[in-house]
Amino acid sequence: MTRIVPVPQHLDHLSLDQLAAGLGPWPPDSRLLVDAHATEWSSPAGFVALLTLGQALAELGAPTPELTLPVTEGVASYWAKAGVLRHAEQLFQLHGKVPRRRVDETSDILLPLTIIRNAADVMEIVGRLTEQATQILKHELGLESSVVVGFGQSLSEACQNIVEHAGTAGWVAVHVYVYRKRLSGRKVAVIAVSDCGIGFRRSLDATQGKRFGDRWGDAQAIETALIHGISRFRDPGRGQGLTGIKRYLARWEGKISIRSGTARVAIVPAWDDEPPRMEGLPWFPGSQVTIVIPGEERST
Amino acid sequence: MSAIIRLDIVLHETVATAYCDLVTRPTGAAVRHRVITVLRGLPDDNAELDFSEVGLMDFSCADEVVAKLLVETIGLRIPRLRLRGVRDHHAEAIQFALARYDLVIVAVLAASPEPMLLGSAPEDWRTAFRALTRLGRAPALPVAEVLAWPVDRTVDALHGLANHRCVVEHPDATFEPGAAA
Repeated sequence: MTRIVPVPQHLDHLSLDQLAAGLGPWPPDSRLLVDAHATEWSSPAGFVALLTLGQALAELGAPTPELTLPVTEGVASYWAKAGVLRHAEQLFQLHGKVPRRRVDETSDILLPLTIIRNAADVMEIVGRLTEQATQILKHELGLESSVVVGFGQSLSEACQNIVEHAGTAGWVAVHVYVYRKRLSGRKVAVIAVSDCGIGFRRSLDATQGKRFGDRWGDAQAIETALIHGISRFRDPGRGQGLTGIKRYLARWEGKISIRSGTARVAIVPAWDDEPPRMEGLPWFPGSQVTIVIPGEERST
Repeated sequence: MSAIIRLDIVLHETVATAYCDLVTRPTGAAVRHRVITVLRGLPDDNAELDFSEVGLMDFSCADEVVAKLLVETIGLRIPRLRLRGVRDHHAEAIQFALARYDLVIVAVLAASPEPMLLGSAPEDWRTAFRALTRLGRAPALPVAEVLAWPVDRTVDALHGLANHRCVVEHPDATFEPGAAA
């Protein structure tokens, strides 16, 4: 038996809920076929989530899932360019024409899909991005130097959350694209980080669970970390990562959205309309963090 | 005399990296341990951590390298520990890291030779520190006169700064902001 898990036509951090809804029971009672044949576009959040799913199944010892690649011209090629396929072929049995395109760090892909296993990976990612992407962030998005530095700090902290809290490896990607509707064509830089680790609730259970009693759950756990800056460590210096990201985003009208388990909590700037707290979502493994930094408003 | 510890060099002695960024907690902890080893080997000297060649520093590293360093060096015989070559984003990360512990440190920013306090310091401390910096080594009275404060208030502020190793209190009841000031 194989369960078909449809991938939405547009896969992003919100439509990930549809992908999660297709997973069925967890652990799966049958082999999964992740069907992206009709997918036309994916944000970096979609890419890292797909790999997280593959990794979660591998860590379960489940049968290797299948992944049907997009058929729309150029889409699978873009997936290759974004570094998705080189990792996906380790985690999925790929179906469809696999483009042999090289991974590309161009103006829209600041950081191709990259695995995060340890602190050394985070150092490499931040160093590489700082070295190569600074000019793009400054010139294409019109970000000031101080905003670019904060971007690097936020990337570092988001990636470190995996090393410090997930208990397993994770994935990161950084892209630039245009928000035509929400920001009238302004460019944004998006950091997407995902892991299939223990999630926010389990990470904070031992130290925070009792405080909240019946109210304790995925949404409360994300809020505890994101809004109140509380970490599972009692060390007063801990919990600075998300707090620092939040401070940075508040200053530059950025957005952060965190999904873990069955909840998603977002700090939403005025330009966006994502609900700040969603509960009872279909379960998805681990945690997914999406950070959006808008570029400057340019007169046309 | 001040011993200058270049953090970019310590970073490369400690961690195999091609970059000059202070990022991640394990890196920050490793750099801090190395700095403490260097500090232990110094005579009873002032010490300055030099950020001039450090690239990006994240919030976790600010906690590990500066805040926890201050906590762990309380027992060491260093009259003053200062930061230099600090850029704005370093300063901001350090400011927030120190505030969590109620700690304060003297820093000289890359953009300005004027030393300043980073971290959790009452406004009186900051004002007294600026006045002492302008005066150089001085007893409390001239500082009080410059600020038009009662002497008790001035002494309280200067003692607070001395207890946090932001200034040195000499046996002759003078206070000194230090060589960098």
